Amino acid sequence: MDALFEFLFKYRPLIFDRGDFAFAAPWPVYLALIVGVAVAVPTVFMYARVRGKSGRGDRMALAAIRTAVFALLLFSLFRPVLVLSTVVPQRNFLGILIDDSRSMQIADRDGEPRSAFVSRAFGLEESELLKDLSDRFILRFFKFASGSGRITGLSELSFTGSRTNIGGALDRARQELSSVPLAGLVAITDGADNSNEALTEPLLALRARSVPVYTVGLGREAFSRDIEVSRVETPRSVLKGSSLVVDVMVTQNGYGGSTVQLQVEDAGQIVSTQEVELPARGEAATVRVHFTANEVGPRLFRFRIPPEPGEMVTQNNEQETLIVVEDRRERILYFEGEPRFEVKFLRRAVADDRNMQVVTLLRTAENKFLRLDVDDQEELIGGFPRTREELFAYRGIILGSVEASFFTHDQLQMIADFVSQRGGGLLMLGGRRAFAEGGYAGTPVEDVLPVVLESPAGDDKELFVTEVKVELTPSGMTHAAMQLGATAEETGERWSTLPPVTMVNPIRRIKPGATTLLTGDADNLSGSPVVLAFQRYGRGKALAFPIQDSWTWQMHQDMALEDMTHETLWRQLLRWLVNGVPDRVNVRTPNDRAAPNEPVELVAEVEDDTFLRVNNTEVVANVTTPSGEVISAPMEWTVDRDGEYRASFTPSERGLHEIHVQALEDGEFLASETSYIQITDLASEYFDAEMQSTVLNRIADETGGRFYTPETVSTLAEDISYTESGTTVLEQKELWDMPIVFFLVVLLVSGEWGYRRWRRLV
Amino acid sequence: MLVAVGLSGFVAGGFPSPGERPKAGQEWPTRLAPSEAAAAMVPPSSVLAPKTREGSADTTPAFGIWRISVPQRRPADLAQEFERPTANHEFYFTRAVYTSGRFGRSGRYGRWATDYPKSDRQFMVGVKRLTFIDGYPMENPVRLNDPDLRRYPFLYALEVGSIALTPAEEEGLRDYLLAGGFLVVDDFWGSYQWANFEAQMRRIFPNRSIVELPITHEVFSAFYNIEELLQVPAVTNWMYNGRTWEQDGYVPHARGIFDDDGRLMVVINWHTDLGDAWEWAENPYYPLQRSTFAYEMGINFIIYAMSH
Repeated sequence: MDALFEFLFKYRPLIFDRGDFAFAAPWPVYLALIVGVAVAVPTVFMYARVRGKSGRGDRMALAAIRTAVFALLLFSLFRPVLVLSTVVPQRNFLGILIDDSRSMQIADRDGEPRSAFVSRAFGLEESELLKDLSDRFILRFFKFASGSGRITGLSELSFTGSRTNIGGALDRARQELSSVPLAGLVAITDGADNSNEALTEPLLALRARSVPVYTVGLGREAFSRDIEVSRVETPRSVLKGSSLVVDVMVTQNGYGGSTVQLQVEDAGQIVSTQEVELPARGEAATVRVHFTANEVGPRLFRFRIPPEPGEMVTQNNEQETLIVVEDRRERILYFEGEPRFEVKFLRRAVADDRNMQVVTLLRTAENKFLRLDVDDQEELIGGFPRTREELFAYRGIILGSVEASFFTHDQLQMIADFVSQRGGGLLMLGGRRAFAEGGYAGTPVEDVLPVVLESPAGDDKELFVTEVKVELTPSGMTHAAMQLGATAEETGERWSTLPPVTMVNPIRRIKPGATTLLTGDADNLSGSPVVLAFQRYGRGKALAFPIQDSWTWQMHQDMALEDMTHETLWRQLLRWLVNGVPDRVNVRTPNDRAAPNEPVELVAEVEDDTFLRVNNTEVVANVTTPSGEVISAPMEWTVDRDGEYRASFTPSERGLHEIHVQALEDGEFLASETSYIQITDLASEYFDAEMQSTVLNRIADETGGRFYTPETVSTLAEDISYTESGTTVLEQKELWDMPIVFFLVVLLVSGEWGYRRWRRLV
Repeated sequence: MLVAVGLSGFVAGGFPSPGERPKAGQEWPTRLAPSEAAAAMVPPSSVLAPKTREGSADTTPAFGIWRISVPQRRPADLAQEFERPTANHEFYFTRAVYTSGRFGRSGRYGRWATDYPKSDRQFMVGVKRLTFIDGYPMENPVRLNDPDLRRYPFLYALEVGSIALTPAEEEGLRDYLLAGGFLVVDDFWGSYQWANFEAQMRRIFPNRSIVELPITHEVFSAFYNIEELLQVPAVTNWMYNGRTWEQDGYVPHARGIFDDDGRLMVVINWHTDLGDAWEWAENPYYPLQRSTFAYEMGINFIIYAMSH
C-alpha cells in the first residue's frame, strides 16, 4: 500500500505526515487570482451562450470536467511543495537500544532466533541499514534487559537477560544522550516487557524532550504452535499436610481441543497429575489441581505440561513457585458455652493433626469451665481471655453455643479486633446460643460475621430446629477447605451423599462481599439456608457455620467406620481458618523468586504482642546464602507507614536464600520471622514472549516515532532524517510533478472525450 | 443389684421430702457438699412420679417403711418398638436395650430395664440442675442393633453380668464404639459376672485390653474431682443387709477400654450400682455419700463423653 502511495504521490506517507504543505510560486497569489478571474469570466459567459446539440446538463458536466483540468494545471503552476525539517548529516546522534534478554533467543522466524536480525543489521559492515544510519547519524549503541548500559560492539551482547525493562532502558538512553543533539532512539526488541514497571513516565519524558522512538519489533505476534502455563497462584506458606487447590492458567496456539497432562512436582517428585483439555486459540483454560504439601521447609513446586511435538517454545511449559511448608502447631481457641458433642468430635477430628492445637474452654456449668489441651496450668485459668495479649496469642477462635451476654463489651470488641487488627480467623458454630439466637445482633462481633443476623428463630418456649441437607455451592466446589475427594467429581459426590444435619440458626442472607461455600435444603424453611459462609474482615477472616451437629458426619449410620469425611473437613476448615494469619513480624519480597545480581527489596511489618505497629525500632534482616554466607541488612522505618521497614540486598549466588528478620526494642528481643527467596535464572522471558506490537506501536505513537518490522526497516534511516529533533535544516519537496497529477489530467481529458462520444456530441 | 423388684422402678409417691428445692432464682452450687447433695439430687415430685406414656403404676406391698412399686402394666413404648424422642436436645441419656435376660410374656423387656425409667429421669433432673447440659429429661432406650443408636453418642448399659449379645448386637455395639460412641457399664457384681461380661467384650474387641482406670484419669476430674472410688450399693442390699457389696464384689472398680488412639470409649463400673443410687437418691435411708458419689460419677462420665 505504501509503495502504491509512493508511486502516485512521489513520496512515502511519512513525508506527507512530517512535512508542511506550501506553494512556492514565484508570483504573488493575488495576481494569479486576478488573471484567473479575467480568463474565466469571458470563458464562462461565452460558453453559456453556445447553442448546439448539447443540453444544459451536458454543458454543465463538460464545464465541470474542464474546470477540474484547469484547476489541476493551476495547482501545478503554483508549484506546490512540502516543507520538511531534516537532520544535518553527521551532526546528530542516534541511540540504538538492543534487547539483550533471553527471549531474543526464541527461534520463531523461519527457524532463526530473533537475535539474528541484530547480527545481520548491525554486525556486518555491508549491512545497508547500518550504512544508511552511519551516513546520517553518529550512532550510540545500548543493550538492555533488566538494566541497561552503553556498549561499543555487538560482542557485548549475550541475549541472556532474565527480564526486559523497556521503559528503564529508554530513560537511561535519554539521560545519557541528553547533552548532545539527539535525532531519536531506535529500540530493537520483541517488546515483551516483563518488568512490571509502567511505560508512561519514560514516554512522557521523551515526548517532553521531543525525542522520537523508532521501534523495530522482532519475532512473531503469535506462535503457531505453543502451550504455555501462564499463571499459577499459590500461598506463600502452608501448614504441613495441608490440602492445596491451585488454579493453573493454560493457554495454547495450535493445539486446541487436544488433551495434555499437567503435572505437579515437589522437588522433582510428581505429587499430582491432572488431565487438561486445551482451550481454543486465544482463550485461557483454568485447571484446578489438588495436592498435599507433606514435606516440611521451603519447597519448590513445579507445575509442568510436558512439551508436545512441534512446540516453538518449551521453556514456558512450566512454572515454579516457592511454598514454605511450616511444621508448627497452630493454636486455636475453641470456646464452647455448654457441653456439646460437637466439642468431642471436633477435637477427635483434629487430634491426629500435629499441626493443630485446639485449646478448648468448655463452660460446663455456671462459672465452671473445663480446660482441655492447654499448655500449662495458668492458661485460661480465668476463663475467656480478658486481655489482648492473652487472646491474640491464638491464631484462630471458634465460638460455639455461647451467648453474647456472657462476654463483656470489651471482650466482644476484642474478638472483633482479633479479626480486623490481629488478622486472626473467627469461626462461629451454630447452636441455641449462637448468632441471632445468642444475642449477637448489635454487638461488635455481628460486624465481623459474614452473615446477616435477623430476628431470632423460635421462642422462649420452643426452639426452632430444622434438618438441613447440605449442598456445595460453585464457590465451595473450588475451595480448598471443601475438598473431600481426590477430584472435583469425588468431592461433589461426597457432599451430595452426606446425611442431613440440624440447624437452630436459620440464616438466609450473607453480607455484601461474603462468599457462601455451603448452602442447604431444609423442609421447613423458605429459601436455602446458609450453611458455611466467610468474608475477609480487616486483616483476618470470619466464618459462619450455623449447624449444630457436624458430628453427624462421623456418627451417622450411613457413614462407614473408615470414612474420613468428618476429620478431613475439620482439618481443612481449621487449617484454612488460620492460614495466612500474620505473625508479629511479617517479611515480604516482591516475588518468591528473583534473578541473581538483581536487587531484592525486603519489606517487614513489625508489631508488638498486642499487634500494634511498632515504629522506629531496631530491625535487622540477615540473609543466609546457600553457601552459608550471612548478609546483614539493617531495615529502615519507612515513616509514611506505621510499623513498616525496608531494606534491599543483591544476591550473587543462585539457590535458596533464608531471610531472618529480627526486631529489637530497647536492645531486647521483640519478635522475629523467617522467610525465603529462590535466586534462579528466571524463565519469565519465555512467558508472553510473542512480539508485542501493541506495546511497540504505543511507544512509537506517543513519542512521534514509528514502528517497523524487519521487512519494513529499510526506510528507517531516511525516516529518522525527517525530524525536528537535533540539528536540522528545512528542505522543500516538489509536488507539481507527482504522477497523480498527470494521471488525473489524462483521466479528465479522456473522460470528456468519452462523455462526448457517449452523448453523441461529436 | 436390684433385679426383679420393680422392673421399671416406679415410685408411687407419698415419700417424705428429704430436702427442699431451691427457691426461684437460687442457684445450686456446682460442687456438692455432702450435706447438700441429697437436696440437689431430689427432683421435683412431678418427675419423681414418672409419667407413663400409657397406663399407670400401682403401688404394691410395703417394703419396710418404704414401698417399692411394681408396675401392673408395662409402658406401651416397651411393648412396641421404642419411639425416638421428638424434642431437640443436645444430650439423651440413652439406655442400651439387649435381648438376653428377657422375661415376661412379650419378651421385650428384661435386665436391660433395671431401674428403668425412674433412674434415667431422676438422673437427668440432676444433670440438668447441676450442669449446663441441654439434656432430654426422659428416658431413651435404644436397641444395640438399631441403626439409630449412632445418633446418641452416650450409652448406658447395666446388669451385664449375664448378658449374651447376639451377633447383630455385637456388631451394632462394635460399630457404635468405633465410630465414636461412649459406653458406661454399670451394676454387675462378682467374679462370675465379670467373666461373662469380659467374654462378651472379647467377642466385640478380641484384641483390646480392659484396664483399670487410675483415679488420676481425666474422666474422674471432668466436672467433679473424684479422689476415691466408693462402692455404691443396691438399695435393697443396703436397706436389708446394711451391705454395700454383693457376691464377692467387695472393692469397686472402674475399668476402661480404649480405642486405637488411646481414647477411652468404655467405662466399666464393676462392683457398684450407680443406677440404683440415681433412682433412690431421694430415699433418706439410702446413704447420702454414695448417692452423691453416683451423681458425680455419672455427670463426669457425660461431660467426659461430650468433650473427649
